[in-house]
Amino acid sequence: MKYVTPTSPSTLVRAAKFATLAIAGSFLAGCAQNAPQDTFAPEGQNARDIDTLSRAVFSIAGVVGLITFSAIGYAVWKFRDRGQPIPEQTHGKPALEIGLTILPALILIGVAIPTVGTIMALSDTDDTECIINVTGQQWWWEFDYPVQDGCGGIDEPIVTSGQMAIPADTNVLIRGTSRDVIHSFWIPKLNGKKDMVPGRVHNLRMQADEPGLYAGQCAEFCGLSHANMRMEVIALDDADFEAWKANQLEDYQSPEPDTLAAVGEQTFIANCSRCHQVDGLTDGDGVPVIARPDLQVYSGAAPNLSNLMTRLTLAGATWDLIDSERRDLLWNDATAEEFGPLYLEGVQDEWLNEVDLREWLRNSPAKKPMYADPELLEPTDGLYRGMPYLALSEDQIDQLIAYLLERK
Amino acid sequence: MFTTGSKFLIGASVVAVIATLVYGIGQGGVMGTIGLTSATVALIGLATLNALLRDSNVFADDSAPVEASSAAQFAPASSIWPLAFAFSGVIVAVGLISYQPILVIGLIAVLATGAEWAVQAWAERASGNVEHNAEVRSRLSNPLEYPVGGALAIGIIVYSFSRVMLWLSKTNTTITFSVLASIVVAIAFVIAFRPKMNPLAIGGVMATGAIAVVVAGTLTGLDGERDIPVFETTAIWQEEAILHPVEYAEGAEEGKHPAERICESPEEFPEADEDPSQTVAGKSGTFDVVLTPAGTLDFDVPGPLGDNVAGMTIQRSNATNIIFRNESDEHRRLSLDLGTDTFVVNDEDVVDRHQICTTLIEPGAAQLFTVVAGQPSVAFEGQINPNGPGGTEDDGLWFFVPGVESANLQVIVP
Repeated sequence: MKYVTPTSPSTLVRAAKFATLAIAGSFLAGCAQNAPQDTFAPEGQNARDIDTLSRAVFSIAGVVGLITFSAIGYAVWKFRDRGQPIPEQTHGKPALEIGLTILPALILIGVAIPTVGTIMALSDTDDTECIINVTGQQWWWEFDYPVQDGCGGIDEPIVTSGQMAIPADTNVLIRGTSRDVIHSFWIPKLNGKKDMVPGRVHNLRMQADEPGLYAGQCAEFCGLSHANMRMEVIALDDADFEAWKANQLEDYQSPEPDTLAAVGEQTFIANCSRCHQVDGLTDGDGVPVIARPDLQVYSGAAPNLSNLMTRLTLAGATWDLIDSERRDLLWNDATAEEFGPLYLEGVQDEWLNEVDLREWLRNSPAKKPMYADPELLEPTDGLYRGMPYLALSEDQIDQLIAYLLERK
Repeated sequence: MFTTGSKFLIGASVVAVIATLVYGIGQGGVMGTIGLTSATVALIGLATLNALLRDSNVFADDSAPVEASSAAQFAPASSIWPLAFAFSGVIVAVGLISYQPILVIGLIAVLATGAEWAVQAWAERASGNVEHNAEVRSRLSNPLEYPVGGALAIGIIVYSFSRVMLWLSKTNTTITFSVLASIVVAIAFVIAFRPKMNPLAIGGVMATGAIAVVVAGTLTGLDGERDIPVFETTAIWQEEAILHPVEYAEGAEEGKHPAERICESPEEFPEADEDPSQTVAGKSGTFDVVLTPAGTLDFDVPGPLGDNVAGMTIQRSNATNIIFRNESDEHRRLSLDLGTDTFVVNDEDVVDRHQICTTLIEPGAAQLFTVVAGQPSVAFEGQINPNGPGGTEDDGLWFFVPGVESANLQVIVP
């Protein structure tokens, strides 16, 4: 006896409408113009190699998929149950089976050859000319430039975070690792993902064709604020990169006496310097103020704020330090030639995004989820993961903003 | 009145409520309290449902069949659980006066045998038929008994194997278990190629093997593990000199080791240098530091560093893996002086030099060690480093080789 569940025409129509909307939505999503992490819009040779390979593989897979689903659809329609007797059942068709084994194998071999070649080409870092250490920790990226002849010559190490400046059209060696859990470094327009594992160093070649700003995001789930662990690569032409380096290594400038920034310097020493290093900062006795984040934070590190206002983001590149108008100018309107000089202007009073900076200083764990509740730090022996709530007054926040605005 | 199943579930609910209150108030664990509360709610729900359905034997509103129902007939079967329960109680008593693990095992046994006893008693009220009651009991208990019993059996076998392995020497363990594995494979082949073999014979062989393993594990476990030496490391000895200076000095007077600190000594520390820990995990991206035949320190790092770089930059607060290669003609160690740091000695902060080093390695050998620098180089600007090369540029952080004055390499920590 056959049991048939009737399907009403209205149900079928609803299902068809839903499927049409879902498919159309998927296709329309590909038309987005503001897509800074579009992996199909490469702007460096490494990403271009990946893109070329991906398009070829997707094309082959698309044709195979089309043939397969067409054959399935044809068989389902052609041999649908119309009450006919069951056709003759046979076992084995050696020629067909051998053919259907060899054909996919040949296709896979055809795909494997360029895939392996591209993987090997991407892993080759012998042609790099500049070393940058990239270190992930919950939930921000640190970039440090060791003393080297590369990168145009660096005599003193440079440490920054959130935004990584690189010379444009230069193969840069990223030596990546992590201080706590596994992270993954990914700038889609410049290269593929690379996991950063604690205790290991992973090499990645990075190159940008032209000066510009390239966005990325941690691509390995790493805890509470994984989604807020972003980074940006800033490609500068050689002259601008030299200017950037020189600025990073400039001596510390104390605020003018009797200014709000001068008060902010003392506020910084009292509240922030346990974790955040500002190179050249000294206390009232002229003794260098050395941060010890290794005694406060689980990862052992906190962003170096010596030149905070030369980078345009804060809190793991989650928020901008510049307002939306300046952001549009840098991200969308500036040409490759204009970008470098505009970027080197850093953060100025006129375009400071004070709202997010103020909110961050007021209560950072409320703005970005972090393990910063002192009562819940037993698993880490009292060490924070992220920035704690500092209970700063509004006056102290004013002082700190004035002080930080001079860290250029 | 309440049915047998309802009584059981109501009793379990009361125990769960008490456990939740005791744990929630006494321990205060959030997750544990949530779990126990969930279990309590589930048990109360089941108890209520079962009370309404009266063990599914009779209608809840029909009182007449209660007395005549099969559930009301008493058909006891022979049971091992009262005896096992009593034996478990003895284990608890022994555990109370001996070792905590025995107490824990006893408590688990009491709970398990008590539950089995309760289930059997409940099943005996199902009907007046002993076989049917046994089937009822099996339907409830077997889904728990088989996996738990299997896990226990596997655990006992594995634990027995581990006792035997730890009792034998490393070499004999390899030989013994290679032979045993071969025998197991041979028996498996015989069984596979003789499908009509008597199942009793197969069961007998397997039971004999299992008993032999358990007996061997018990005997070797009682005899104890082989002597496994705990190797000292250079890091332990370096810390020992700072944390326990008096005992360290006494050890030096007794000739256990040189009086100077290991990272500053070209001498051999027998315990640290001859039998160091050999645990070197998989590392990558290592830095090379080489003591050349000329007595200088050379280095290499991954990437296009260039030829004009005098110092090695290592990251702050991050593990840097360094391989020291001794290309000199003498036994040498590589030491790193990371400036001063604060150590807690007898609850007091003591500022001392932060040094780490390799063991004394032979000519041509190499050793890996991991460096973590907590403070930047600028923290030590202007401070004389006694292990620097001397002269005007002897502040900062330095690699050095005890006994080779010309072997110095600056370390830069941003």
